[in-house]
Amino acid sequence: MVIPYSTITKNRSFITSDQDMSSESFSIEFDDVVQRFRRIQERPDTLREVFAKIRGRRVTYLDFEALKHISFRVLKGQMIGILGRNGSGKSTLLKIAAGVYTPTSGRVRVHGSTAPLIELGAGFHHELTGRENILLNGLLLGLTKNQIREREERIIDFAELGDFIDSPIKQYSSGMYMRLAFSVATEIEPEILIVDEILGVGDAGFQRKCYGRISKFKQLGRTILFVSHDIVTVRQLCDRALLLHKGELIADGKPADVIARYEEIFSGPLAAVR
Amino acid sequence: MRELFTETYRYRELIWALALKELRVRYKRSFLGFIWALLNPALLMLVLTIVFGTIMKFTVPHYSIFLLSMLLPWTFFSQSLAYSVESIVGNGELLKKVRVAKLVFPVAALLSNIINFLLSMIPLLLLVLALGFPVHWTWIYLPVPMLGLFLFTLGAAFFFAAVNVYYRDVSHIIQIVLSAWFYFSPIIYSLDFIGPKHRWLFKLNPLLYVLNGFRLSIYYGMLPHWSSVAMSLTCGVASLVIGYSIFHHYEKSFVYYV
Repeated sequence: MVIPYSTITKNRSFITSDQDMSSESFSIEFDDVVQRFRRIQERPDTLREVFAKIRGRRVTYLDFEALKHISFRVLKGQMIGILGRNGSGKSTLLKIAAGVYTPTSGRVRVHGSTAPLIELGAGFHHELTGRENILLNGLLLGLTKNQIREREERIIDFAELGDFIDSPIKQYSSGMYMRLAFSVATEIEPEILIVDEILGVGDAGFQRKCYGRISKFKQLGRTILFVSHDIVTVRQLCDRALLLHKGELIADGKPADVIARYEEIFSGPLAAVR
Repeated sequence: MRELFTETYRYRELIWALALKELRVRYKRSFLGFIWALLNPALLMLVLTIVFGTIMKFTVPHYSIFLLSMLLPWTFFSQSLAYSVESIVGNGELLKKVRVAKLVFPVAALLSNIINFLLSMIPLLLLVLALGFPVHWTWIYLPVPMLGLFLFTLGAAFFFAAVNVYYRDVSHIIQIVLSAWFYFSPIIYSLDFIGPKHRWLFKLNPLLYVLNGFRLSIYYGMLPHWSSVAMSLTCGVASLVIGYSIFHHYEKSFVYYV
């Protein structure tokens, strides 16, 4: 099955199993979602595995669950902070919400267009100019050519690139690169913005601009999934927070409460969460 | 199968942009730029014409045109495969971050090579004129073998792009397969050189019928027999159906292996 790509203009949803309609007031629904990965113990991706199987030797796989039975619903217009230590499943969760991964089991519904800010500049090509990359990246994120043309000037303005826009981006500083990528992804005006700890980059001025734009998104009633290690930002911006620990959702509620729990994991006895 | 058409249509702008990117990157920072798309085959033709026209005398008159009529479609086929076999793995980092139909990458790789191929027909036509070789009316038949060739290549591209995700060995093996396939196809020679006893073996080659269509219409000025036309299109459609089905069956798990 192909997950239908939700375009920017149409309020389409992608659904992993049946089609029953649920409340329209939710923009993201996770229902008992499990994401299992297969870790290969031997050298991967060669014909050796085949030969090993033919000869009766077994290649050992370790299945592990990156997400274990996660259920939550996000109201339209909510900004959700997702906290957790490294490897707790935050990025996996975002990738499922963005439609990159198909969960092993469970049901995911996403109502509306999404723009993933999972890694800034994914899909940028270094030999192409900034302008050419805006087109390519915009198309990759689901815009049409005309929609990109309408936004092009605004994207260039926000990224503060000046006449660098017609130079190949391999000549850009890392700051310019980030500014362009952030500018493209947010100018798309998705209904759901998915942000994965990318805002630690750039100078203070740019960061302020980024947060300004995210706040604007919030005011427009867009939904935001926000992964960050920056507790201060989560406390300030988010309406609600989720805490993931070893693939399990162990806290869901007001940012202040969830942050307290998060700090407990780091400082307090770990036995409490095991 | 329906997704192949609907998705290709939905992503047409992206596919076109990716194909142009491919070409642009290939010729970027070179002084002559896009002219290379014409100059490259032209220079190859010049070399072949000199070698086979003056140094090695073949019994086949105008051997260079005899050869090029099949060599150009073959080059298209082998280059398309070389590009598309890496099209999923090469875009792996992107696939992990953005939800996009996977088929856009092999299709775009093919499209960029189609553009290259069509451009290479221009120097071929010029060469034919320069050598005083007749431009047969059967040139107008060329879209038919081209269609067969493109369908066949796209199917193979889907297949190898998918398999390469799981077994990276494929991108190495394919080089060997392609060179064996090249010598097994009557490109540098004619099928008449093969004794009737072994000819059936060569007729198993699914590309034979398509390649024949090119040589007949460019070099001999004849149209292929209808059965050969039917065979070439059947091979093309069969390749696409098989290749795409396999690709489609596995595409959801590509992201975990790239």
